[in-house]
Order: sequence, then structure tokens, then C-alpha cells
Amino acid sequence: MIRCTINDRPLEVPAGTTLLQAARAQGISIPTLCHREGYPAFASCMLCVVRDQKSGNLLPACSALVQDGMAIETDSEAVHEARKAALELLLSDHSGECLAPCQRTCPAHMDIPMMHHHIEAGRTREALQTVKQTIALPAVLGYICSAPCESGCRLKQVGGSLSICALKRYVAEEDLNSEAPFLPAVQTATGKKVAIIGSGPTGLAAAYYLQQEGHACTLFDKNPEPGGALRYEIPEAELPRSVLDAEIGIIARLGAEFRMNTALGQQISFEELRGQFDAIVLAAGRVKADDLGMSDLESARAGIHINSETFETSIRGVFAGGGAVRSGKMAVRSVADGKAIAASVHQYLGQGTVTRGQDQFYLRMRNMDRAELDGFIEEQKHKFNISGGEELFTRVVERDNVSPEKVGHEAGRCLHCGCLKTDTCKLRRYAEEYKANAQTYKGNKRYEVDTFTDHPLVILEAGKCIQCGLCIRITEKHEETFGLTFIGRGFDIAVGVALNENLGRGMEKTARECVAACPTGAIAMRPGVK
Amino acid sequence: MSGNTDINLAEVEAMVREIGSAPRYVIPILQAIQERYHYLPEAALRHVCRISEITPAAISGVATFYSQFRLKPAGRYKIKLCVGTACHVMGAETLHDTFRQELEIPDGQDTDARKLFTIEKVACLGCCMLAPAAQIENLTYGSIQSAKVPGVLGDFLASRQEPGVVPGEKNLPRLKDYSGEVRMCQCSSCLASGAGKVFAEIRRQIARHHLPARLKAVGCTGIAYQTPLVEIALNNGRTFHYGRLRTEQVAEVLLQHFRPASLIRRGGAAISGYLERALADSLQAPVTRYLLDPQNGAEAGYLAPQQQIVTRFSGKLDPLNLEEYRRVGGFEALQQCLEQLSQNDILEAIEESGLRGRGGGGFPTGKKWRVVAGMAEPVKYVVCNGDEGDPGAFMDRMILESFPFRVIEGMLIAAVAVGAREGIFYIRAEYPLAVRRIEEALRICRDNGLLGDNILNSGRGCQLSIAAGAGAFVCGEETALLASIQGERGTPHIRPPYPAQEGLWGKPTLVNNVETLAAVPAIIRDGPAVFAGLGTPTSKGTKTFALAGKVVRSGLIEVPMGLTLRQIVEDIGGGVRGGHRLKAIQIGGPSGGCVPAALADTAVDYEALRQAGAIMGSGGMVVLDESDCMVDMARYFMAFTQAESCGKCTFCRIGTKRMLEILERLCSGQGQEGDIEKLEELSKSVTAGSLCGLGKTAPNPVLTTIRYFREEYQAHVEGRCPTGKCRNMITYRINERCIGCTKCAQECPVAAIPVSPYAQHQIDPDLCTKCDRCRQVCPVDAIEVA
Repeated sequence: MIRCTINDRPLEVPAGTTLLQAARAQGISIPTLCHREGYPAFASCMLCVVRDQKSGNLLPACSALVQDGMAIETDSEAVHEARKAALELLLSDHSGECLAPCQRTCPAHMDIPMMHHHIEAGRTREALQTVKQTIALPAVLGYICSAPCESGCRLKQVGGSLSICALKRYVAEEDLNSEAPFLPAVQTATGKKVAIIGSGPTGLAAAYYLQQEGHACTLFDKNPEPGGALRYEIPEAELPRSVLDAEIGIIARLGAEFRMNTALGQQISFEELRGQFDAIVLAAGRVKADDLGMSDLESARAGIHINSETFETSIRGVFAGGGAVRSGKMAVRSVADGKAIAASVHQYLGQGTVTRGQDQFYLRMRNMDRAELDGFIEEQKHKFNISGGEELFTRVVERDNVSPEKVGHEAGRCLHCGCLKTDTCKLRRYAEEYKANAQTYKGNKRYEVDTFTDHPLVILEAGKCIQCGLCIRITEKHEETFGLTFIGRGFDIAVGVALNENLGRGMEKTARECVAACPTGAIAMRPGVK
Repeated sequence: MSGNTDINLAEVEAMVREIGSAPRYVIPILQAIQERYHYLPEAALRHVCRISEITPAAISGVATFYSQFRLKPAGRYKIKLCVGTACHVMGAETLHDTFRQELEIPDGQDTDARKLFTIEKVACLGCCMLAPAAQIENLTYGSIQSAKVPGVLGDFLASRQEPGVVPGEKNLPRLKDYSGEVRMCQCSSCLASGAGKVFAEIRRQIARHHLPARLKAVGCTGIAYQTPLVEIALNNGRTFHYGRLRTEQVAEVLLQHFRPASLIRRGGAAISGYLERALADSLQAPVTRYLLDPQNGAEAGYLAPQQQIVTRFSGKLDPLNLEEYRRVGGFEALQQCLEQLSQNDILEAIEESGLRGRGGGGFPTGKKWRVVAGMAEPVKYVVCNGDEGDPGAFMDRMILESFPFRVIEGMLIAAVAVGAREGIFYIRAEYPLAVRRIEEALRICRDNGLLGDNILNSGRGCQLSIAAGAGAFVCGEETALLASIQGERGTPHIRPPYPAQEGLWGKPTLVNNVETLAAVPAIIRDGPAVFAGLGTPTSKGTKTFALAGKVVRSGLIEVPMGLTLRQIVEDIGGGVRGGHRLKAIQIGGPSGGCVPAALADTAVDYEALRQAGAIMGSGGMVVLDESDCMVDMARYFMAFTQAESCGKCTFCRIGTKRMLEILERLCSGQGQEGDIEKLEELSKSVTAGSLCGLGKTAPNPVLTTIRYFREEYQAHVEGRCPTGKCRNMITYRINERCIGCTKCAQECPVAAIPVSPYAQHQIDPDLCTKCDRCRQVCPVDAIEVA
């Protein structure tokens, strides 16, 4: 047995144990990108570095063996800095962006490319489900949203942006008009009760998502009917009340209770609410300390403190959002807040604290000039088999002029600018965790990077590859006839198929494992392939 | 891609049959295919996969890793442009651009449209005194100014038209009595400096005049600045040296010392007119102008401070004459090891000698041997690391070419000491002559009972073979080297396990550098005390260097440890060329650093050099004067290392690239505030986060130049290059001295100078590519660079 210490904790391990194995056995987590159980270590990404306190050297934990008498630290500032530097270098050589610009620009980060993908394939119901993962009131927003997403659309620079809002409204209204509009699955009741003050877009959205988690919501509103500003400030000509009623109806069918004509501080006191509910959400415009009956507590100050990331207030169990924290009137912003508040409240109800608050990391591509954009469009067309020439640049539907025959064509114009593995990318997750800045080591890109689209299941984008070699080790272990290999060396090294074969022959039996193992979006399932 | 080329698959099959079909043979098989087709046709590669155990993934991975291999057809002739350190300092970059321009090779390609020439940069041709130099097929051109490029290409093509000169078309006379020897080195460096032609001429003249002279190719003297160098050693004990000898003077020199045997016998009619002229000339213009005096002349200064252990008997012995080598004590040490010394005695001797790894790392050799010797595993290997790759360093090549038996003896002693029965020479592909000499020397050893199952009738056996590298600097790193021998991409592995524990094929493996092994026989034969008696407390014995750059006398030298850099530059090198001031000494190549003139009294000592920010390295030593830009030097070395990174580790792969980008920015006048700090930050990360020596030491040239010449970096940040070396920061201008001769306008390859006879010419700065050709042809020095 070999003795060492990890983070000052003494331990004994058998000879031949790697630092990573020793640390993980102790429950110490070490980030890795190029490592995978069952495959030989490669020591490439260097994200797993730990520090040997005696020599001061950094060692890749995945392959460095525990030596007798070693004193290892896994969590010091030096280690953190080195890992961050490794991430920043990798990001400086990563072409692509985590989210499509439309999705990034959308305050709710709606998965717009996926909606398009479903619409194009004629799957209206799936499209609506995609929308409702982030937008509780899509039909309403289909009428009034200022659609910042459409100004983010890459096609806007070369012609007409995609008609995103019209498509969203189309799928939402199709659904509402169907025999059985979509009702999301609801978790078993938790027994927790949430009071939501205000039934405007923020309150409604919060209720929509909290009900799905099994929490019982009661919406209080001083007005006789729910909807807040949507009903009392926006003219019916802009937003038909039937649409508003229908979407509120869905929320009611999920079990939310509506207590109308009940104003906080008048018909019901803050203290009463605190007694009856497990959590309170203030979503009724600007909150005054007076309303909460807290004059002796904090009225000397301008108001209560609100954490703009978690929407927690300085009072435990009380959350505030929407008009309560912002002055802007963008409805989609309010709807997005509603969902975010729901997530915080859900966490609070489950574990007593809210741990969210990490800044989401999004790698962005720099602004492209026309030539670069043309190149990008060609690349995307190639990647996703998008056909069409000039007509790709022209909008064929508008919000008030949508025909079912044209929506597929319109959605088919989508270039799917984002990453296919936004949510599973380890590079992105660690970049978030280590607060890496993609601009720190900004430099030239590799000269030429290949994108392989000649595989029935997957797409390989070498520009997103971090040269971890996992796919190569996988194809080798499973004895693929051709398999993948490193082509070239140094900065211009790239993953490729042996002997210039197509990707289909390179990964005849290992495509799915390669997708699962690939730490980035370099190898991803084709959109829609399960 | 390969469809148009006729590939004879039967031929490919024969290659595989001859070399072997196991995965480990992928590199020699690819080398054979490339030798045959000048590139690797895909059809041939596919066939190899069909008939051998080599997988497509392995063949593609290996073929694209090593720079020797080409996947695209090449031109008929290959131009190898040297970009070694000395050539860089002398303007190799400009020369490269000029060749490309002249041949109209488009960006991103390396072959001209007529498929006549393929141009490639090579790390070092080993003729630093001829810098900048280029080799076209077997012809070497030196001191090529860009204006000479069209002439060089023309001369080469013309030489192809002529029937080849067959050296020594006549047999040399076989005489009973020779009155002396004519000795001349035929190593790669000397050949690159024209020694081949002179040697052939000597042969021709001896045959022609029936001279009683024994012509002998010998190990290199290292006096590179005097090559082609001929030594005439007469039986009466007198020796004469002739330096920088030209073919036209050969007859004259020979006739000075040897009387034609046939002169009297064959009578006057037999004497050619040329001989008469030569004899007559010799009376009027003595050839003493080529005569050197190693005892008292400048060569005395060059040679006196040197101490020869690994290069002992340089210039005296025929590299492949076993008898001669044995006559001067060769293989005595091996015999001692086999007959008198125990394994432990040998290990102790090496430990006592204080010998440390000469490849650059400086790890105690005895310690390494003892680890391997102590491993219980019955199968062990000894590997000679001959993958010397630093630009501007070619000591190991010279040792392999000039003293092959010495290295073999060192290798066999190592094998005996650690208990290995098999050894492999790993020699880089760029050293074909070294490979041939070792191959031949091994054959001779086998024939004479020095190799095989029963060495010197001791009952002990050892087999030695050669693995040729394929063009990857990183393979000088021992774990990458072993991967390469195993037929893999040359990617380093983490240590431990060290090769001494688990090396080649997982077995304990001793990896030693050429120079280290070459020192072993002397240590055993003379006793370790002699070796340990030289040097400093921590650095013993001698070290070879390739002394080059702005120094009067450049060449290959072997000095005792402890000598100072100043002694080397001034005493051996004769000081800085052209009376300029010493600025710095670059030592250790791409892993080393620039020691400033102020620290020139630093001793050649592992620790002292490290203290100064450099490293001992493998032996590159380039002298820089005040006209050399230190930021440009850092950029040069970073460009080298970056191109040689294997690409595995994040920090080295991307970090060195980002560092190079910043340095390129600085050298092109695009520097930004914060660039120096970013370089320092990246240096720290790359050093800390890289796995192998290449990455860990890559930032050294940057760190030392920042440390000692920070103000020069600051000037570049502000858009100035104080030395005027950085091309993008200078402009060419014609002053009033111009006489309107139009030479510059005619020479300008990009028509940046309008022809204006009898008037002062003008250069259009937007068109000017700063190729320097105008300045070179101007008869009145009217071209200014600022």
C-alpha cells in the first residue's frame, strides 16, 4: 500500500492507483474532459490538474500515479487558476456558439431552433411542447411579443429573419384550438402552498411551472379578472381576450387557484399570507414596504432588497419579480422571470435554500462580416442538409398571415446556429463553474476545420473538438474497420476518419457511444435523431 | 487523389514482406513507400492495411504526424531551405519568400505549377558558416543573398543537363609505399560546405598523377569555418593543413607534397599540360595562402582551449576503419567490461565519473543505469537517442558520422552494465549519412565478433539495430521516442513510470543520448577520475557545442565543463565578427535562453546556466551581436517549438500558438499594451501545465529575453524595432546617392521601383516586400533601410 495525503487527508491506496481514482474514492471531485472510465488515460485536456505540494508541480490526476509520501491539493487557488487557464485556452480555439443568437437574445432562452425543427417535420405538438418548456403564455406572446429573437437571427443580416414569433403563435393557437390542448405532466402534490401576488405575466408563468412541480399555487389580484397588465393595459385589438383566457385556462386546469379582487395590504395582509403559505411571490408591480406591513422594519429604506439572480428578497421565503424588480414592460421578460422565480421557489421549498445564481456561460461567435456570414451559411446548409438558394433569405409567413402550408417552409429556413449539445457540453459546464472567459486568450482560428455530415446518426464538427481523443480510443477499442484518428499534429491537429473514409464508415458501431463520450458538441446526434 | 498515379501493389507487398507486417513496422514501411513514390499514395496505404496488421487509423495517424511524410505528390526536385538558428539570423525567412516568389508558388502550397520544385524548410543543414544555405537535391548552395536566387535555380537546372561527374572514375593507385596520407572529413556538415567535390577532385588528381598518397575520409575536425579542410600527414611526421580549399587548387596542393610516382617512369610525354601549369604555378604563387598552422596560427586559438573525449582523434581516423579504431584503444573498454569488471564495477565507474545526460536534461547517467540494472525483468533494452533536433545543433550527427564505433562501444558497455541483450539506435530521418555509417559500422562489428550472441568470445550477447525517425522534434523526448519505435505517433507519456522502469514494449529501457554514450568508453578505459577531474563540482567532463552565429570562427567544439561562455566566444570563436559588440549568447536552442553579454562569464555548468535562465541543452550555441533583435529571436524559437508540438496537451498545443501570435504581432508592429504581461502569464501556464520537456521548456527563450531585454519588447509594443530587424517595421528608401542606373528597378521582383534612367529612383512602399534585392544590387549604396 502507498500512503499519501489529498487535501491534508491521509490515505492509503494500492500501487498503481491514479490520483483521480484516489481522490474520487474520497468523494473529492476533479473535473475531467478527456477521461472516461474503461479507457486508457490520455492526459490531454489538463483540466484534472492537481498540485504536488512538495515539488509545486501540477500533475494530471487522470494519469499521474500516487507516489509514496505525496501531498496533493486538489482545490487550491493555484489549481483553480490552472484549470481556468486550460479552459480559457480551449475556449479560445472553439468555434461555434453555445446558443443560437435567437435563443440567446430571447429573455426566456426559448429553444427556437428545436421548435423550428419540429415544425419543419410537421410535429406541431412537439413544437408547442418545446415552446412551453420556457414560455408559459406562447399564444399571448405570439400577439404582443417585441420578438428580440428575430433581430438576433443571422438571416436578418442577409435578408429576412425567420418569422419566429409567428411560428410560435401558430403552434400555440393550433394547440389551443385542438380538441385536447397540451397539459404538461404534474408531479405528485408536495403539500406545499405558494401565494402569488399579482396574476400578470410573471405570476401566471410562475404558477404554470410551480403547479407542474406539485406545489399548490394561489394567485391574488386586486382586479376582478386575472391577467394583470395583459388584460387591463393592452387593447383587445392587440391581444384578443379569448386567447388570454384560453392560456389562463390551462394554468387553472393545472390546479392553480385564483383569488380575485384581493389586494395585498387591503383584503389580505402580508402577515396572514406568511401564516398560510410556505412561500410568497410578489409579482404585482412595484412593491412598497407599506404593503407588507413592515413600516417599523424597513420602511426607512426605499424598499426591500431583491436578489436579481435568484429573486429572493431579504425576507426568507418571499420572492419578487416581474414588474416588482424591473421597470421595463417587455412581456416576454416578465414571462421569463416567472419561470425563473418558479425554479427558485421550487428549490427553496425542497431544500430550504436557493443555490442557483451561477452565471450561465455562453460562448459567442464574434460579429461576422458578409463574407464570413456567407461562409457560415454554406457551412450550416451543408451540416443540416438545408436546401435552397436565394429563397432562404425571404420570409414567407407573418404573424397575421400564417398558413399551415407555409410554416414548414419557413421553419426550414432555420440555420440551426446553436450547438447541438448546449445542455450536455462539459466544456460549457466547467467554463461556468470556473468562471472562464473565452476572450482571455483570443487568437487566430485553425485554418481549416472539417465538418462531417456523412453519417446517418451523428454530425462531427472538428471546430468544436478539444482533441481529447476519446472517440479515437472508442473506435479503436471496438475495432472499427476504419475508425477515427488524429490527423496532423500540433495546433492544427484534428480528428478525422482514417484514409479519408466517410464518417459513416469511421463509426459503424460506435456513433452513440462517441456522442455520449464527447465532452463537447463536436460529436452530436443529428437534430431529432433519438 | 491517388487515382492518377500508377501504384505497383506487388512492389508494396514486397516492401511489407521485407520489412515486416506487425504494427511496429508502420514507419519503415511508409518510409519505403515514400522513397519509391516521393509521397504516400492512398492506394498504397490501403493495400498495406489489407496485407498487414497495421490498421487504417494507425497508418493515417502516423503518416500525418511525422513531417517526413507527404500525402500529396511532390515536385521533381526538393529544395531544402535551412532555417536553423544561424541561417535565421542571416535572413533565411527573406530567402524563403524569395524562392517562393521566384518559383511563383501560391500560398498554402509548396510546389511550383510545373511540378519541378518542392520547397521545404529544414531545421538545420549543418553548414552554419555558409548561412543562409539551401540544398537542392545533392547540391548545397551557401551564403545565398536573395538577389542570387534566380542564379541558384539556374545553376541547379544547368547541372542537371550536364552528365554527372563521377568521382574517382579511375582507381586509386595501389602502391607498396605511400609517402603520406591525405585526410579529409566527409561528414554531412563538411559535405554541405563543398567537401564532397574537393574529395572527388583529390581522388581524381591522385589517380591521374599516380601520387603516392593514401586518401582517407576521416572523422570531423569540427573546424567548420575552414571547411573544406584537408590535412596532409607525411610519413616523416610532418603535417600540413589547408583550409577552405577549392577544387581548382587541389592539384597544386597535392603536388606540393607528393612526387608523382609515374613522372620519371612515364616520361615527359605523360605529363599533361595541366600538370606542367600546376607545377609552374606552384613556383610563382605558393599555395601557402591556404595553409593553416594549428600550432601557432588562429587555429591554435580555436583548438587550444578544447579538450577531446567524445571527439578524440578527430581528423585522424577513418570513421569506418575498425582496425584503426582498435589501434588507438577502441573496444578495450568493452573488453575490460566483459572480462574484468563486474556489473557493479561499471555502474560505480559511471557514477564516479559524474557523467550527466548530454541530451539537455542533465540527469545523472550512473543513476539511470542503476535503476535499469536493478529491475528484475529479464528482458531489457538500451536505446541510443540520436533524434537531435535543435535547430543549430548537430554535434550528435557529427559523432555518429565520425565516431560510429565509439558510440557502438558505449552502447554495448551500457547493455552489459544494465543487463540488456538488445539495443536500438533511434536516428532522425534527416541524418541519412549517420544512418548509413552506423549501419555499416554495425555490419563490421558483426563480422568481427563485436556484436551478436558471443561478443569478444565472452559468452555474452547483444544485438543492435537502427530505427530511423521520421521528422518529429518531440521524439527527442524519451517517452515519445519509444512510442515512435513502437510504430506510434510520437506522443509523450506521463512519467512515472519512467522508461527505466517500463519502457519499450513495457520493458525496462535505458535511453541515453549519443554524446553521453560516446563518453562511456573513455571513462572506463582511462578510469572515471580522469573524466571527473574535468569541470565543476556538479558538471564533469566535456561538452560539445555547435558554435555559430556572429562569431569569427564557427564550428563544432568540445570543451571542458567550467569554461566560461566568454572564453568560448572570444578565445575559441575569435570574438564577434565584423568588430561588432556581443549582445547575447543563445544556448540550448528552443528550450534554452539568451544569456546577455553582461553574464558572459557564466560557466558551462548545468546549474549555472539554469540560474542564468538558459539550459545546457544539447549543444546549440549561437552568438548574437547588437544587430540581432531579441524579440525576433524569441519569435523564431517559439515558431519552431509551436510547429513541433505534438498537440496532445492543451497548454502546449494552444498556449504556444497564442504566444507565437503575440510575438508575431510584436514583430510586425501590431503590439498592444499588455502583450508582455500576457506572454509572461502564458509562459507560466505553459510551463506548469505541459506534460513533457518540449512544452515545459518552450517558454524559456521568451522568458530570458523578457528578463534581460524587456526594453526591447517595450519598444516593439510601441511599434519600434530598435535593431531594424523586424521586416514589417522597416521601410526601404532610395537616397540622393542614386545614379539612376536602373539596376534596382530591374531586380525588383514586384515592380515596386519604376524604371527612371539617370534619375533618382523611388520605392513604392505599398508594393515593396522588403526582399532586400535592390539593396544587394545597388552599386552605390543608395538604398537605405530604416
